[in-house]
Amino acid sequence: MSLDTALGQLVDDRKLNDETLLRLIAQAQQSALGELYDRYSRLVYSMALNSVDDPALAEEITQDVFLRIWNKATTYQVEQGKVMTWIASITRYRSIDMLRRLKVRPEGNRAVWAEEDDELFESIDPIDIEEEVQLNQRSDTIRKAIAELPKDQRQALTLAFFNGYTHAEIAQILNEPLGTVKTRIRLAMQKLRHTLRY
Amino acid sequence: MAVEEHVSELLPAYALDILDESEARTVSSHLAGCSGCRAELRAYRQVVEEMPLAIAQVDPPAELRGKILQQAASLKKPAAAQPSKNWWQELKTRLLPAAPVWGMVSLVLIVLLGASNLFLWQRLNQVETDHNRLATVPLMDTDLIPGATGMLVISADGEHGTLVVDGLPVLDPSQQYQLWLIKDGQRTSGGVFSVDEEGYGSLWISSVEPLASYQGVGITIEPSGGSPAPTGERVLGGEL
Repeated sequence: MSLDTALGQLVDDRKLNDETLLRLIAQAQQSALGELYDRYSRLVYSMALNSVDDPALAEEITQDVFLRIWNKATTYQVEQGKVMTWIASITRYRSIDMLRRLKVRPEGNRAVWAEEDDELFESIDPIDIEEEVQLNQRSDTIRKAIAELPKDQRQALTLAFFNGYTHAEIAQILNEPLGTVKTRIRLAMQKLRHTLRY
Repeated sequence: MAVEEHVSELLPAYALDILDESEARTVSSHLAGCSGCRAELRAYRQVVEEMPLAIAQVDPPAELRGKILQQAASLKKPAAAQPSKNWWQELKTRLLPAAPVWGMVSLVLIVLLGASNLFLWQRLNQVETDHNRLATVPLMDTDLIPGATGMLVISADGEHGTLVVDGLPVLDPSQQYQLWLIKDGQRTSGGVFSVDEEGYGSLWISSVEPLASYQGVGITIEPSGGSPAPTGERVLGGEL
Protein backbone atom coordinates (compact mmCIF):
# COMPACT_ATOMS: atom_id res chain seq x y z
CA MET A 1 0.00 0.00 0.00
CA SER A 2 1.42 3.39 -0.90
CA LEU A 3 1.57 6.16 1.64
CA ASP A 4 -0.91 8.26 -0.32
CA THR A 5 -3.36 5.37 -0.50
CA ALA A 6 -2.94 4.77 3.20
CA LEU A 7 -3.56 8.42 3.98
CA GLY A 8 -6.62 8.42 1.76
CA GLN A 9 -7.94 5.36 3.54
CA LEU A 10 -7.32 6.94 6.92
CA VAL A 11 -9.28 10.02 5.92
CA ASP A 12 -12.04 7.93 4.34
CA ASP A 13 -12.31 5.76 7.42
CA ARG A 14 -12.47 8.91 9.59
CA LYS A 15 -10.84 6.88 12.28
CA LEU A 16 -9.58 9.71 14.45
CA ASN A 17 -11.84 11.52 16.88
CA ASP A 18 -11.81 15.29 17.27
CA GLU A 19 -9.62 15.33 20.36
CA THR A 20 -7.00 13.17 18.68
CA LEU A 21 -7.03 15.44 15.64
CA LEU A 22 -6.35 18.43 17.89
CA ARG A 23 -3.48 16.63 19.56
CA LEU A 24 -1.98 15.88 16.19
CA ILE A 25 -2.51 19.49 15.10
CA ALA A 26 -0.68 20.57 18.25
CA GLN A 27 2.21 18.54 16.89
CA ALA A 28 2.07 20.38 13.56
CA GLN A 29 0.47 17.54 11.64
CA GLN A 30 -1.14 19.26 8.72
CA SER A 31 -3.27 16.35 7.55
CA ALA A 32 -5.12 16.52 10.86
CA LEU A 33 -5.91 20.19 10.24
CA GLY A 34 -7.33 19.24 6.84
CA GLU A 35 -9.58 16.63 8.42
CA LEU A 36 -10.76 19.04 11.11
CA TYR A 37 -11.51 21.58 8.38
CA ASP A 38 -13.59 19.01 6.53
CA ARG A 39 -15.64 18.42 9.66
CA TYR A 40 -16.18 22.01 10.79
CA SER A 41 -15.64 24.44 7.93
CA ARG A 42 -19.38 24.61 7.14
CA LEU A 43 -20.17 25.43 10.75
CA VAL A 44 -17.44 28.08 10.99
CA TYR A 45 -18.20 29.70 7.64
CA SER A 46 -21.95 29.70 8.26
CA MET A 47 -21.60 31.24 11.72
CA ALA A 48 -19.28 33.91 10.36
CA LEU A 49 -21.54 34.65 7.39
CA ASN A 50 -24.59 34.92 9.63
CA SER A 51 -22.69 37.38 11.78
CA VAL A 52 -21.01 39.69 9.27
CA ASP A 53 -23.35 39.13 6.29
CA ASP A 54 -20.47 39.42 3.85
CA PRO A 55 -18.99 36.35 2.07
CA ALA A 56 -15.49 37.84 1.77
CA LEU A 57 -15.37 38.72 5.47
CA ALA A 58 -16.81 35.32 6.39
CA GLU A 59 -14.04 33.70 4.38
CA GLU A 60 -11.44 35.80 6.17
CA ILE A 61 -12.88 34.82 9.55
CA THR A 62 -12.94 31.13 8.61
CA GLN A 63 -9.31 31.34 7.59
CA ASP A 64 -8.42 33.12 10.80
CA VAL A 65 -10.29 30.59 12.96
CA PHE A 66 -8.51 27.58 11.47
CA LEU A 67 -5.12 29.25 11.65
CA ARG A 68 -5.82 30.04 15.30
CA ILE A 69 -6.62 26.38 15.84
CA TRP A 70 -3.39 25.50 14.09
CA ASN A 71 -1.42 27.76 16.42
CA LYS A 72 -3.40 27.27 19.61
CA ALA A 73 -4.46 23.62 19.54
CA THR A 74 -2.46 23.01 22.73
CA THR A 75 -4.74 25.38 24.64
CA TYR A 76 -7.76 23.14 24.16
CA GLN A 77 -8.68 21.19 27.28
CA VAL A 78 -11.20 18.36 27.23
CA GLU A 79 -12.70 19.75 30.45
CA GLN A 80 -13.72 22.89 28.52
CA GLY A 81 -16.24 20.89 26.51
CA LYS A 82 -16.48 19.37 23.09
CA VAL A 83 -14.18 20.40 20.27
CA MET A 84 -17.19 21.63 18.31
CA THR A 85 -18.15 23.93 21.17
CA TRP A 86 -14.61 25.27 21.38
CA ILE A 87 -14.47 25.96 17.65
CA ALA A 88 -17.93 27.56 17.59
CA SER A 89 -16.95 29.81 20.49
CA ILE A 90 -13.75 30.95 18.75
CA THR A 91 -15.79 31.65 15.62
CA ARG A 92 -18.47 33.63 17.41
CA TYR A 93 -16.03 35.89 19.23
CA ARG A 94 -13.84 36.33 16.17
CA SER A 95 -16.89 37.35 14.12
CA ILE A 96 -18.10 39.80 16.75
CA ASP A 97 -14.59 41.26 17.03
CA MET A 98 -14.55 41.77 13.28
CA LEU A 99 -17.91 43.55 13.35
CA ARG A 100 -16.74 45.86 16.12
CA ARG A 101 -13.41 46.54 14.46
CA LEU A 102 -14.95 47.40 11.10
CA LYS A 103 -17.86 49.24 12.73
CA VAL A 104 -20.29 47.57 10.35
CA ARG A 105 -23.80 46.87 11.53
CA PRO A 106 -25.69 44.12 9.71
CA GLU A 107 -29.25 44.07 10.95
CA GLY A 108 -29.75 40.36 11.13
CA ASN A 109 -32.09 39.98 8.19
CA ARG A 110 -30.51 36.77 6.90
CA ALA A 111 -32.35 33.47 7.27
CA VAL A 112 -29.83 32.27 9.81
CA TRP A 113 -31.68 29.50 11.61
CA ALA A 114 -32.21 26.16 9.93
CA GLU A 115 -35.68 25.19 8.85
CA GLU A 116 -37.19 22.01 10.17
CA ASP A 117 -36.76 20.15 6.89
CA ASP A 118 -33.13 21.19 6.37
CA GLU A 119 -30.65 18.36 6.71
CA LEU A 120 -29.56 17.71 10.26
CA PHE A 121 -26.24 18.81 11.61
CA GLU A 122 -23.38 17.04 9.86
CA SER A 123 -21.64 14.22 11.70
CA ILE A 124 -19.10 15.68 14.04
CA ASP A 125 -17.11 13.03 15.77
CA PRO A 126 -17.52 10.00 13.57
CA ILE A 127 -15.78 7.65 15.93
CA ASP A 128 -18.65 7.80 18.38
CA ILE A 129 -21.90 6.88 16.64
CA GLU A 130 -23.93 7.09 19.83
CA GLU A 131 -22.73 10.64 20.37
CA GLU A 132 -23.58 11.51 16.78
CA VAL A 133 -27.14 10.28 17.23
CA GLN A 134 -27.48 12.33 20.43
CA LEU A 135 -26.07 15.37 18.68
CA ASN A 136 -28.58 15.07 15.86
CA GLN A 137 -31.37 14.82 18.39
CA ARG A 138 -30.11 17.94 20.17
CA SER A 139 -29.82 19.72 16.85
CA ASP A 140 -33.40 18.81 16.02
CA THR A 141 -34.63 19.89 19.44
CA ILE A 142 -32.96 23.29 19.45
CA ARG A 143 -34.04 24.02 15.88
CA LYS A 144 -37.63 23.40 16.78
CA ALA A 145 -37.30 25.41 19.99
CA ILE A 146 -35.89 28.41 18.13
CA ALA A 147 -38.50 28.05 15.37
CA GLU A 148 -41.25 28.13 17.99
CA LEU A 149 -40.05 31.35 19.62
CA PRO A 150 -42.24 34.36 18.91
CA LYS A 151 -40.78 36.29 15.98
CA ASP A 152 -39.81 39.34 18.04
CA GLN A 153 -37.95 37.20 20.59
CA ARG A 154 -36.15 35.27 17.88
CA GLN A 155 -35.11 38.49 16.16
CA ALA A 156 -33.65 39.96 19.35
CA LEU A 157 -31.88 36.70 20.20
CA THR A 158 -30.41 36.47 16.70
CA LEU A 159 -28.91 39.95 16.97
CA ALA A 160 -27.50 39.07 20.39
CA PHE A 161 -26.06 35.70 19.42
CA PHE A 162 -24.59 36.38 15.99
CA ASN A 163 -23.73 40.05 16.30
CA GLY A 164 -22.97 40.37 20.00
CA TYR A 165 -25.00 43.57 20.25
CA THR A 166 -25.81 44.91 23.71
CA HIS A 167 -29.39 45.42 24.82
CA ALA A 168 -29.12 49.12 24.02
CA GLU A 169 -27.78 48.48 20.51
CA ILE A 170 -30.52 45.98 19.78
CA ALA A 171 -33.14 48.42 21.09
CA GLN A 172 -31.77 51.05 18.73
CA ILE A 173 -31.73 48.71 15.71
CA LEU A 174 -35.25 47.44 16.36
CA ASN A 175 -36.53 50.82 17.47
CA GLU A 176 -37.99 49.30 20.61
CA PRO A 177 -37.76 50.34 24.28
CA LEU A 178 -34.71 49.00 26.13
CA GLY A 179 -36.87 47.17 28.69
CA THR A 180 -38.79 45.40 25.93
CA VAL A 181 -35.59 44.12 24.34
CA LYS A 182 -34.24 42.89 27.69
CA THR A 183 -37.46 41.01 28.33
CA ARG A 184 -37.51 39.44 24.85
CA ILE A 185 -33.98 38.11 25.15
CA ARG A 186 -34.53 36.85 28.67
CA LEU A 187 -37.77 35.09 27.74
CA ALA A 188 -36.20 33.54 24.64
CA MET A 189 -33.28 32.16 26.63
CA GLN A 190 -35.56 30.88 29.37
CA LYS A 191 -37.67 29.01 26.81
CA LEU A 192 -34.62 27.46 25.17
CA ARG A 193 -33.26 26.44 28.54
CA HIS A 194 -36.56 24.87 29.46
CA THR A 195 -36.84 22.99 26.16
CA LEU A 196 -33.27 21.74 26.36
CA ARG A 197 -33.86 20.78 30.00
CA TYR A 198 -30.87 22.55 31.49
CA MET B 1 -28.10 36.43 50.47
CA ALA B 2 -31.55 37.89 49.88
CA VAL B 3 -33.40 36.81 46.75
CA GLU B 4 -33.75 40.38 45.48
CA GLU B 5 -29.98 40.67 45.34
CA HIS B 6 -29.63 37.78 42.92
CA VAL B 7 -28.83 38.52 39.31
CA SER B 8 -31.05 35.88 37.65
CA GLU B 9 -32.61 38.35 35.24
CA LEU B 10 -29.22 39.34 33.86
CA LEU B 11 -27.83 35.83 33.55
CA PRO B 12 -29.22 34.99 30.07
CA ALA B 13 -27.60 38.13 28.63
CA TYR B 14 -24.42 37.49 30.63
CA ALA B 15 -24.22 34.01 29.11
CA LEU B 16 -24.59 35.61 25.66
CA ASP B 17 -21.86 38.09 26.65
CA ILE B 18 -23.94 41.10 25.61
CA LEU B 19 -24.19 43.03 28.88
CA ASP B 20 -22.60 46.43 29.04
CA GLU B 21 -19.51 46.77 31.19
CA SER B 22 -21.12 47.93 34.43
CA GLU B 23 -23.85 45.26 34.30
CA ALA B 24 -21.26 42.59 33.57
CA ARG B 25 -19.20 43.75 36.57
CA THR B 26 -22.26 43.56 38.82
CA VAL B 27 -22.98 40.00 37.69
CA SER B 28 -19.35 38.92 38.01
CA SER B 29 -19.02 40.13 41.56
CA HIS B 30 -22.32 38.50 42.54
CA LEU B 31 -21.33 35.19 40.95
CA ALA B 32 -18.18 35.04 43.03
CA GLY B 33 -20.27 34.45 46.15
CA CYS B 34 -23.42 32.76 44.86
CA SER B 35 -23.32 29.12 43.86
CA GLY B 36 -27.01 29.17 42.89
CA CYS B 37 -26.48 31.85 40.26
CA ARG B 38 -23.32 30.11 39.06
CA ALA B 39 -25.35 26.95 38.46
CA GLU B 40 -27.99 28.95 36.63
CA LEU B 41 -25.33 30.60 34.50
CA ARG B 42 -23.89 27.20 33.57
CA ALA B 43 -27.32 26.18 32.29
CA TYR B 44 -27.62 29.29 30.11
CA ARG B 45 -24.09 28.83 28.82
CA GLN B 46 -24.98 25.31 27.75
CA VAL B 47 -27.88 26.78 25.80
CA VAL B 48 -25.52 29.22 24.07
CA GLU B 49 -23.11 26.36 23.32
CA GLU B 50 -25.85 24.39 21.59
CA MET B 51 -27.23 27.25 19.54
CA PRO B 52 -24.74 26.66 16.69
CA LEU B 53 -26.47 23.31 16.14
CA ALA B 54 -29.51 25.20 14.93
CA ILE B 55 -27.97 27.42 12.30
CA ALA B 56 -28.52 27.02 8.59
CA GLN B 57 -25.28 25.72 7.13
CA VAL B 58 -23.75 26.76 3.84
CA ASP B 59 -20.60 25.56 2.11
CA PRO B 60 -17.52 27.78 2.17
CA PRO B 61 -15.79 28.50 -1.15
CA ALA B 62 -14.08 25.36 -2.46
CA GLU B 63 -10.65 26.98 -2.71
CA LEU B 64 -10.60 28.06 0.93
CA ARG B 65 -9.40 24.69 2.23
CA GLY B 66 -6.25 24.73 0.14
CA LYS B 67 -5.58 28.35 1.02
CA ILE B 68 -5.79 27.65 4.75
CA LEU B 69 -3.61 24.54 4.61
CA GLN B 70 -1.05 26.39 2.54
CA GLN B 71 -0.95 29.24 5.01
CA ALA B 72 -0.72 26.85 7.96
CA ALA B 73 2.28 25.20 6.34
CA SER B 74 4.01 28.54 6.02
CA LEU B 75 3.46 29.47 9.66
CA LYS B 76 6.11 28.49 12.12
CA LYS B 77 4.52 26.55 14.95
CA PRO B 78 6.09 27.03 18.35
CA ALA B 79 5.69 23.36 19.14
CA ALA B 80 7.35 22.12 16.00
CA ALA B 81 10.61 22.92 14.37
CA GLN B 82 9.56 21.86 10.89
CA PRO B 83 5.92 22.75 10.42
CA SER B 84 6.06 22.76 6.67
CA LYS B 85 6.04 18.99 6.59
CA ASN B 86 2.92 17.10 7.40
CA TRP B 87 3.08 14.27 9.88
CA TRP B 88 3.22 11.59 7.24
CA GLN B 89 6.07 13.33 5.52
CA GLU B 90 7.75 13.78 8.87
CA LEU B 91 7.49 10.12 9.74
CA LYS B 92 8.63 9.18 6.27
CA THR B 93 11.64 11.47 6.45
CA ARG B 94 12.66 10.13 9.80
CA LEU B 95 12.21 6.54 8.82
CA LEU B 96 13.79 6.58 5.38
CA PRO B 97 17.33 5.94 6.63
CA ALA B 98 16.14 3.00 8.65
CA ALA B 99 15.32 -0.48 7.46
CA PRO B 100 12.82 -1.91 6.93
CA VAL B 101 11.20 1.37 5.99
CA TRP B 102 7.81 -0.01 5.06
CA GLY B 103 7.68 -2.11 8.20
CA MET B 104 7.56 1.03 10.30
CA VAL B 105 5.12 2.76 8.01
CA SER B 106 2.96 -0.32 8.39
CA LEU B 107 2.96 0.16 12.14
CA VAL B 108 1.51 3.60 11.70
CA LEU B 109 -1.14 2.15 9.46
CA ILE B 110 -1.87 -0.70 11.85
CA VAL B 111 -2.30 1.71 14.69
CA LEU B 112 -4.31 4.26 12.84
CA LEU B 113 -6.29 2.13 10.45
CA GLY B 114 -6.90 -0.82 12.66
CA ALA B 115 -5.29 -3.14 10.13
CA SER B 116 -3.82 -6.29 11.51
CA ASN B 117 -1.84 -7.90 8.74
CA LEU B 118 1.33 -5.88 8.54
CA PHE B 119 4.02 -7.00 10.97
CA LEU B 120 7.36 -5.96 9.57
CA TRP B 121 7.38 -3.00 11.92
CA GLN B 122 8.13 -5.25 14.84
CA ARG B 123 11.75 -5.39 13.75
CA LEU B 124 12.11 -1.72 14.39
CA ASN B 125 12.05 -0.95 18.06
CA GLN B 126 14.66 1.72 18.46
CA VAL B 127 14.15 5.32 17.49
CA GLU B 128 16.55 8.16 17.28
CA THR B 129 15.89 11.02 19.65
CA ASP B 130 16.53 13.81 17.25
CA HIS B 131 14.87 16.78 18.87
CA ASN B 132 14.49 18.56 15.55
CA ARG B 133 12.14 15.88 14.33
CA LEU B 134 8.98 14.16 15.38
CA ALA B 135 9.94 11.06 17.36
CA THR B 136 7.88 7.90 17.24
CA VAL B 137 8.16 4.92 19.56
CA PRO B 138 6.49 1.62 18.66
CA LEU B 139 5.01 -0.31 21.55
CA MET B 140 5.26 -4.12 21.70
CA ASP B 141 2.50 -6.42 22.83
CA THR B 142 2.95 -9.07 25.53
CA ASP B 143 1.58 -12.55 26.08
CA LEU B 144 -1.29 -11.01 28.00
CA ILE B 145 -2.89 -9.42 24.90
CA PRO B 146 -1.15 -10.71 21.78
CA GLY B 147 -1.79 -8.61 18.70
CA ALA B 148 -2.28 -5.33 20.54
CA THR B 149 -0.36 -2.48 18.96
CA GLY B 150 0.60 1.01 19.99
CA MET B 151 2.73 3.99 19.23
CA LEU B 152 3.97 7.10 20.99
CA VAL B 153 4.36 10.22 18.90
CA ILE B 154 6.60 12.68 20.75
CA SER B 155 6.56 16.37 19.95
CA ALA B 156 9.55 17.96 18.28
CA ASP B 157 10.69 19.60 21.51
CA GLY B 158 10.50 16.30 23.40
CA GLU B 159 8.12 17.76 25.96
CA HIS B 160 4.77 16.19 25.12
CA GLY B 161 3.31 13.37 23.15
CA THR B 162 0.33 11.37 22.07
CA LEU B 163 -0.25 7.69 22.66
CA VAL B 164 -2.32 5.77 20.13
CA VAL B 165 -3.26 2.14 20.72
CA ASP B 166 -5.23 -0.43 18.81
CA GLY B 167 -6.34 -3.98 19.41
CA LEU B 168 -6.80 -3.67 23.17
CA PRO B 169 -9.96 -5.22 24.63
CA VAL B 170 -12.70 -3.04 26.09
CA LEU B 171 -12.40 -3.22 29.88
CA ASP B 172 -14.98 -3.52 32.59
CA PRO B 173 -16.15 0.01 33.61
CA SER B 174 -14.30 -0.41 36.90
CA GLN B 175 -10.98 -0.62 35.05
CA GLN B 176 -8.87 1.56 32.75
CA TYR B 177 -5.58 1.31 30.96
CA GLN B 178 -2.77 3.34 32.53
CA LEU B 179 0.40 4.55 30.87
CA TRP B 180 3.61 4.46 32.90
CA LEU B 181 6.68 6.52 32.14
CA ILE B 182 9.82 4.76 33.26
CA LYS B 183 13.07 6.37 34.38
CA ASP B 184 15.78 4.71 36.50
CA GLY B 185 13.34 1.98 37.48
CA GLN B 186 10.78 4.51 38.74
CA ARG B 187 7.33 4.50 37.18
CA THR B 188 5.35 7.71 36.87
CA SER B 189 1.77 7.80 35.62
CA GLY B 190 1.36 9.29 32.15
CA GLY B 191 -2.43 9.17 32.33
CA VAL B 192 -5.32 6.75 32.04
CA PHE B 193 -7.46 5.95 29.05
CA SER B 194 -10.11 3.59 27.72
CA VAL B 195 -10.61 2.13 24.26
CA ASP B 196 -13.63 2.03 22.00
CA GLU B 197 -15.37 -1.08 20.73
CA GLU B 198 -12.76 -1.48 18.02
CA GLY B 199 -9.96 -1.46 20.56
CA TYR B 200 -8.80 2.01 19.56
CA GLY B 201 -7.76 4.60 22.11
CA SER B 202 -5.57 7.66 22.45
CA LEU B 203 -4.10 9.76 25.21
CA TRP B 204 -2.51 13.18 25.27
CA ILE B 205 0.54 12.82 27.52
CA SER B 206 1.58 15.82 29.51
CA SER B 207 4.30 14.85 31.96
CA VAL B 208 6.10 16.96 34.52
CA GLU B 209 9.44 16.13 32.94
CA PRO B 210 10.06 16.10 29.19
CA LEU B 211 8.85 12.86 27.65
CA ALA B 212 12.12 12.39 25.88
CA SER B 213 13.90 12.20 29.25
CA TYR B 214 12.23 8.87 30.07
CA GLN B 215 13.80 5.53 29.18
CA GLY B 216 10.69 3.51 28.52
CA VAL B 217 6.93 3.24 28.78
CA GLY B 218 4.48 0.53 29.80
CA ILE B 219 0.73 0.13 29.84
CA THR B 220 -1.08 -1.85 32.52
CA ILE B 221 -4.71 -2.47 33.48
CA GLU B 222 -5.61 -0.61 36.66
CA PRO B 223 -8.71 0.33 38.65
CA SER B 224 -10.68 3.12 36.96
CA GLY B 225 -9.00 6.48 37.53
CA GLY B 226 -5.56 4.91 37.80
CA SER B 227 -3.21 3.71 40.52
CA PRO B 228 -0.29 5.48 42.21
CA ALA B 229 1.96 2.63 41.04
CA PRO B 230 1.38 -0.28 38.63
CA THR B 231 -0.63 -3.15 40.08
CA GLY B 232 -1.48 -5.00 36.86
CA GLU B 233 0.68 -6.82 34.36
CA ARG B 234 2.06 -5.01 31.35
CA VAL B 235 -0.01 -5.26 28.17
CA LEU B 236 2.12 -3.00 25.94
CA GLY B 237 5.58 -1.53 26.36
CA GLY B 238 8.42 0.15 24.58
CA GLU B 239 11.89 1.66 24.93
CA LEU B 240 12.47 5.35 24.27
